[in-house]
Amino acid sequence: MRRNNKSNLIGVGVFFLLCAGLLQRLAIYPTWTRDYNKSRTQINTSLDPQQMMFALAGFREMLAGILWVRADAFFDTGNYDAILPIIRLVTLLDPQQIDVYATGMWHIGYNFTDEEQRSDRRYIPSALALGKEGCRQNPETYEMFFETGWMWYHKIDDDYPEAVKYFIEAQQRPDMIPARKNLLMMAYQRNFQIDDALNMGFKLYDDALKRVEEDGASGNKQNRDTLENNIDTMLVRMVQRGYVAEKAGRSTAKYDISPPFDVGFSAKVTVLEPMVLRVEGTWNVRPVGTRVRIVLRDKDYTVVDHGVTKNIGRPAGMDWDFSNDVNLDPPRDKTFMQDQLFVKNTRFNKKIDMSKDPPMYPFTSDKYLIEFYYNPRSAPPHIQDKFGWNGEGMTDKHFLNDKVRPGQKCIYYAMEVPRDAILLHGQYQDKHPVFKTPNYVETKQDYNQDQILLDIPSLRASGK
Amino acid sequence: MRQILSIATTTVGEAIRRRVLLIILLIGVLFLVVAPGLGVLSARSETVVLRGMMLGIIQLTSAVIAIVLTVYMIPNEIERRTIYTILSKPVQRWQFLIGKYLGAVFSLGLMMALMTAVLVFVFWLQASDQSLAAVGAMVKAPTMYFVQMSLLAAVAIFFSTFVAPLVNFFLTGGMYLLGSLFNPFFQTLQENQGTHPVTKAFAGIVNTILPNFANYNVQNPIINPTQVIQNESRYYLEVTFYGLFYIGILLVAGILIFDRREV
Amino acid sequence: MAAAIETKQLTKSYKSRAAGNINVVDNLDLHVEEGEIFGFLGPNGAGKTTTIKMLLGIIYPTSGEGFVLGKEIGDMAVHRLISYLPERPYYYEHMTGLELLKFYGSLFGIYDEAKYRALLEKVNLHRDMTKTISQYSKGMQQRVGLAQSLLNDPKLLFLDEPTGGLDPIAHREIRDLILSFRDEGRTVFISSHELSEVELICDRVAIINKGIIERQGKLTELLHGGRIEITVGGVDEAFLKGLNIPDSNIRGLPVGVLMDMPEEQDPNGIIDAVRNRKGTVISVVPRRKRLEDLFVETVTNPALGGKPSVPPAVAEEIVK
Repeated sequence: MRRNNKSNLIGVGVFFLLCAGLLQRLAIYPTWTRDYNKSRTQINTSLDPQQMMFALAGFREMLAGILWVRADAFFDTGNYDAILPIIRLVTLLDPQQIDVYATGMWHIGYNFTDEEQRSDRRYIPSALALGKEGCRQNPETYEMFFETGWMWYHKIDDDYPEAVKYFIEAQQRPDMIPARKNLLMMAYQRNFQIDDALNMGFKLYDDALKRVEEDGASGNKQNRDTLENNIDTMLVRMVQRGYVAEKAGRSTAKYDISPPFDVGFSAKVTVLEPMVLRVEGTWNVRPVGTRVRIVLRDKDYTVVDHGVTKNIGRPAGMDWDFSNDVNLDPPRDKTFMQDQLFVKNTRFNKKIDMSKDPPMYPFTSDKYLIEFYYNPRSAPPHIQDKFGWNGEGMTDKHFLNDKVRPGQKCIYYAMEVPRDAILLHGQYQDKHPVFKTPNYVETKQDYNQDQILLDIPSLRASGK
Repeated sequence: MRQILSIATTTVGEAIRRRVLLIILLIGVLFLVVAPGLGVLSARSETVVLRGMMLGIIQLTSAVIAIVLTVYMIPNEIERRTIYTILSKPVQRWQFLIGKYLGAVFSLGLMMALMTAVLVFVFWLQASDQSLAAVGAMVKAPTMYFVQMSLLAAVAIFFSTFVAPLVNFFLTGGMYLLGSLFNPFFQTLQENQGTHPVTKAFAGIVNTILPNFANYNVQNPIINPTQVIQNESRYYLEVTFYGLFYIGILLVAGILIFDRREV
Repeated sequence: MAAAIETKQLTKSYKSRAAGNINVVDNLDLHVEEGEIFGFLGPNGAGKTTTIKMLLGIIYPTSGEGFVLGKEIGDMAVHRLISYLPERPYYYEHMTGLELLKFYGSLFGIYDEAKYRALLEKVNLHRDMTKTISQYSKGMQQRVGLAQSLLNDPKLLFLDEPTGGLDPIAHREIRDLILSFRDEGRTVFISSHELSEVELICDRVAIINKGIIERQGKLTELLHGGRIEITVGGVDEAFLKGLNIPDSNIRGLPVGVLMDMPEEQDPNGIIDAVRNRKGTVISVVPRRKRLEDLFVETVTNPALGGKPSVPPAVAEEIVK
């Protein structure tokens, strides 16, 4: 090659290098990081070096797919412990895999249960954190917002403003499925935003009518009919529960919520064996459908978050939303048992056996709380028809409480129980310690006989 | 030009008959065909997993083919002494090198087209959304991978002008890994507050002047179509030009070295 | 006559860690006339292929200069006029003989199917031209190689060990082809260590050893210095000795007496003398110096190269 040819070639090479470099820095890199590498710098821990290499070298999605398929095998065998890390890995590798987020959240929130099918609520903050991360990673689509809202609405069944917040977010995404929008109307009601619920109902109904006009598919018609029915029922309830009267500044004395009904709550807890409790008590509501929440938890439910010890416990619950970190390892030294006490014939009586699941109920602290909690907002509609959305039609001589959930009327009672009493250690050895509300009255009456009286009006057209 | 084309065509004829390449290709195609059997989850998730896996299989197979195909190309010509019969004819060395490179790219194109056809077919059979747009979207990724693999082949042919095939295999493979890591690595450094400015500047230089394979990993939004991206075609055009520039750089460097090479 | 190849102090040296600089080709002065078959001889590793590669511009000389067909080596224009058949070449096996010619033809811009067929016929492959190279025997591969080397109607052919590894029949075919090239007016440069072949076809030879040309010249001149053997009956050894022929050896045989003498001596005088003594002349056989002798002599004689280059045993091995 001649010398001048050679220098020409070198010149061309240098020019190309300049072009490539400029293109890379000015145009490609900014677009790539914005659009094609959404997982950002998340990949930092959880992966071992080979996985990391493979993942970063552009096979992230493939690896995620392979792992997800592997997780499926564990689903089949019920090996839930093995699935969690995989789910976490997949979401790290391909944060656009919404199903993995959704499945993972559902799985963490619901699937870890004890022998009596009580789920391990220590995991819920992790489930929520995963949900929140899914929302952050996939802000364009409604799905993770909806799923996270559902976790609040259905699983936590408390803190309804959170459910409302997420359902609104979901609603704002264009891909939200119409039928799922109805849930916001329900969440508004639980959050005592009756006007918002009604407005939402009407808005959805208008949309539903439009859709039927555009496409008379049966699904669209069905949704329209459902909405019509829901609005209908809601309007009747607004009247019957005295909401309309109250809004108009009139007396609510003649409506169903008056006079407030005394639920007459009392309870007694007997430790039958170590970690086995018998819970009995009274609740004067005869129609079926009452569930009183019982919680047994560390008096100081503390967790370490970013090196800071936080007491996240609160009456009959905890600060579910305390962390944004997906921590798959729940506080193993903490105990949080939650169950429902079904009321039948004005009594509840349940044996709670925690002895078979020591990992879930480690009982490592000295002091525990047994809490009873009832909130009419999550009551079934036929009971709510008497109690009102916010407990206006409910009272209790001893335990009515508007502090534990500010602005809401609840029934709440907490009893402090030492660990030794639950484990029958020390002074409680060979004893059956009993803890009860001061008003608890021993009785020999047989409450198993059916004597249901329909003293609460039904809303059905037939009157039944 | 006719010399380049003749050499390129002959190279294709040889490459598509190389058993080791055909076996790799066959394995790739087999994986593509069985891939749907692996995703047995919910319908949408299945499609996501399927897309991710199939595109991954194509990319991985193509990368292996690109490297294996190219690292042996020049050394084989020398070892079999065919290069002497060619270079003793009125063929310049740069023509030979470019002819060989183009042959490699054509062969890669053929093999990747085959895999893409299988991908489209299998995906069309399996996917819930069989619209032309959905299937067409799938083809975007292999197209970008083709540019990526052409760049990879250029790296391999550049190295093959002065190192032995086995060394080249690891060099090129390493460059591919490294080049795929630049973007994420650079991004991490940029976003990390604690990074020393000198390190940042150095990473910036490296990210600017070394061939960047990560640019072509465009599969994420294709696998997860909910993701909104902007100016897709402009980006594709930019990375294609980037690839062409870089291939140009590598070929020029390769020619300069190969011209003085004693074969 | 113009020189087809001319080199002046052409040198190629490599650096070796153990031995420092090694001159694989050392100050080579080569002169090949147009239209001749030139034999380039030497043991393995003597620098034959290196020289050819330099002449073809495939590798670059360390020093010195060389001209091929009057142009400095490396000139691309020359490549249109020359061709090269490497030692034991390999061709793209997936191609048929015809396709191979098409490929090489296209490198010259020759797209003449009739020419391909004619060339294949010339090398006797016209019946096998649709078979792939992978089905060809070694001899066929060599022949198809010769066919491709004729594509551009070359003025000068470089043939590196053209008969290497072939059976005797294939040898003969190739040899005849090479001779036909000369008849067509081409210059043929053959590198070989198969001396019997070279002796049969070459006009001039150069013997290279350890990168140095030991001998170069017309074959007839180089082999000059043979002897004549005369076997006679009816006379005794003393009679022959009495003739006083210089540098002669005489010994008795069962059939008579054998005398060998330098070929410069006139045998007629001896024959006449024997006849005059009523003796019979049984045979007169000229014993030419063989190339083999010359080769062994050259590569083993320290006086010629100034140093013992190849031990005699190795040289014997080579010429076999």
